[in-house]
Amino acid sequence: MTFTQDQSTVTEISPRELYARLLSAQPLFILDVRNEDEFKRMPVEGHATLRTLNLPYFDFIEDEEAALARLPKDVEEVVVICAKGGASQYVAEVLNNHGYRAVSLTDGMIGWGNYYDVRDVASAAWGRIVQIARPARGDLSFAIISDGQAALVDPLRHINVYRELIEGAGAKLTAILDTHVHADHISGGPALAKETGAPYYIHPYDAIHPIDMLPAVIAYEPLRDGQVFQIGQVRVTSIWYPGHTLGQVNFLAETPDGGRYLFTGDGIFLRSFGRPDLGGKGEAWTPILYRSMFEWLPRYLTDDTMILPAHFSTLDEDAGNGIFAAPYKQVLAQNDSLKPRTLEEFTSYVLSHLPVFPPEYVEIKRVNIGLVEPCDGKANELELGKNICALAG
Amino acid sequence: MPHFDQTLDVKGAKCPMPLVKSRKAITELPVGQVLQVISTDRGSVADFQGWVKTAKNVELVAQETVQENGQELYVHYLRRTA
Repeated sequence: MTFTQDQSTVTEISPRELYARLLSAQPLFILDVRNEDEFKRMPVEGHATLRTLNLPYFDFIEDEEAALARLPKDVEEVVVICAKGGASQYVAEVLNNHGYRAVSLTDGMIGWGNYYDVRDVASAAWGRIVQIARPARGDLSFAIISDGQAALVDPLRHINVYRELIEGAGAKLTAILDTHVHADHISGGPALAKETGAPYYIHPYDAIHPIDMLPAVIAYEPLRDGQVFQIGQVRVTSIWYPGHTLGQVNFLAETPDGGRYLFTGDGIFLRSFGRPDLGGKGEAWTPILYRSMFEWLPRYLTDDTMILPAHFSTLDEDAGNGIFAAPYKQVLAQNDSLKPRTLEEFTSYVLSHLPVFPPEYVEIKRVNIGLVEPCDGKANELELGKNICALAG
Repeated sequence: MPHFDQTLDVKGAKCPMPLVKSRKAITELPVGQVLQVISTDRGSVADFQGWVKTAKNVELVAQETVQENGQELYVHYLRRTA
């Protein structure tokens, strides 16, 4: 067999096709041929029907027969994944020569990590609410579009997807709303504000780096509790929700047909909630989060208020259609972490469910308020891996 | 710079070619000799480390990163052990 990278005959699968397969929850077998460290840091995740095997491509180069022998026998189709899409072509070709049906993921994990999925949460005469997801990281952002106006909530780093969406809808961006200054990913807010001239809103408490105690040097409009934004026919109200960060807010969107949509950022997740320790002051912030979660926010919520968080932890949190949202009543019923607790019980629950604190999160917060400006390569590196903003399940 | 007997230049080659070509070159190298591999693929650093863990007759003697005309070169030294 001869292998030339430019003339590979291997069929490719695009990130979009892969995502559709993952969401469908049909059985799928992924062979990840990156080295073990890379694989452990960020595997492709899916429903329980997904099987994944990590077998580095160099094992196929070193001893093809031995590597092939480690593949399960009952597998017909194999999706091969590597870092950039080269080694996966090589391995897929080996597999195809041995009777498997193998496809290679285009651009590997770089392509997957930077893939965005756009779909409507609601679409009516008054306009649309659109979910823009970055599935590899479990990041979710939203657009509210009504009567030629648009607002974005928690836009992510690759801003073209938002510009295309808004232009495609024939709308003008009038407000960029971040629920908080994020620690796990780089916000697209400041860059969008610079390019479009739309104001970028964050709560002033989040404009100070919680560990460095240095103020933001980006341009932003200070957001206050109860501030109202009229986006066409949709009324958006900010609700201060300190705890995950001191300046975390939720945005409640009310539509003319009585719909209520809560963009909760890292407030409530569908199966968890936002951890209060990423500012380095978990002990002080936990009681603040408790008050936000159990005393303040519920006043604004009805049973059928749709909860739209900024993250999912696992792909099976979706409602079966790629939308990561659920009515408040359903979230309360299925999310153990939101069960009524005393402050003492809540504190011990938080302490016993804290995942690792990724060291790069301190740096990402610096980037998000302009204290540091990374190049593209560095930005990719900072955003490697999935978000760890939720308490562990 | 460690001692080496032969050089394999894989500058510009993308994954998996640096490793594919190194494997082939090692097979043609006399036992005991050291092959210097010069790559521009940053991923090759971790991949060579992973490869030699299970490779039958290859020892990774050293790895270094050097600057050449503003680009980084990842240089690997591989000994054929058997």
